[in-house]
Amino acid sequence: MAGKTAIIASNGTLFDAYKVYNIATAAAASDHEVAIFFTFEGLNLINKEAYGQLPLPEGKEHIAEGFAKGNVPAIPELVEMAQELDVKFIGCQMTMDLFGLEKEAFVDGIDVGGAVTFLEFAKDADVTLTF
Amino acid sequence: MIQTDKLLDAKGLVCPMPIVRTKKVMNEMAPGEVIEVQATDKGSLADMKAWAKSSGNQYLGSVEDGDVLKHYLRKADQSEEKEEVQFPHTVTNAELQQQLDRDDVIILDVREPAEYAFGHIEGAVSIPLGELENRTQELDAEKEVIVICRTGNRSDFAAKQLADKGFTRVKNAVEGMTQWDGATEQNKV
Repeated sequence: MAGKTAIIASNGTLFDAYKVYNIATAAAASDHEVAIFFTFEGLNLINKEAYGQLPLPEGKEHIAEGFAKGNVPAIPELVEMAQELDVKFIGCQMTMDLFGLEKEAFVDGIDVGGAVTFLEFAKDADVTLTF
Repeated sequence: MIQTDKLLDAKGLVCPMPIVRTKKVMNEMAPGEVIEVQATDKGSLADMKAWAKSSGNQYLGSVEDGDVLKHYLRKADQSEEKEEVQFPHTVTNAELQQQLDRDDVIILDVREPAEYAFGHIEGAVSIPLGELENRTQELDAEKEVIVICRTGNRSDFAAKQLADKGFTRVKNAVEGMTQWDGATEQNKV
């Protein structure tokens, strides 16, 4: 492995999803070991009901056209790509409980853990990002 | 048109997909093979170079063809990095430099066509190592042949092959193109 990238995803708009998954797939393609910790609204990015129809940030709705024209991959496609590249997804247990969500609400193959699970991975990461 | 082992069409894809696709395809390739990646994402120019550096693969160069960027990369080959040159007759690059004007010397470049295309010694003959076996008749056995590649390793194999085929004056330019600081030329594209 050429390096290690730790990402916290804590927001749930379409913009946030692209920021998280673009960096994650690029890092994984560059032979980084990658883990994403999904917490608070960030859980939407792996929620089976939500991740295919994430909202644009308020006031930015007009960008939808740009996404359609730009040939940008859909979020579920990026999620699949990330998982194929062995990006590790960690759902935050505490916020899942808070929102009343079970592991089954999320895409397959996620781990569930707490803050310490993420910190354990991130403590020797070369790149740490928060979105 | 540069000859490669693999072609990847990444046209229309945006960041980071050209890199992600390239990574996937190169995983399936054999060490030493060359890929052409066609992309329309302008950011891919900087990204390909950076990715090759971090992944240890060799970035050969890029060509612009209208809106399409054609990137050329060669998969890393660990066996080329070990320094076990066995062919006894060698020349340094400085010695090679002094031979360039001689009519009775052939400079034979045994790298892949895409490597050759992005920078070679002027007048060097291009025959990739894998094709040398069947193409030695293109070379004049009466002349002295100085073989060069990237790091002196493929040229070592090539020099041995030529000696076995009856070439009596063969030398390996052991330092290779990575240490060549003389003039080079590129293929006209």
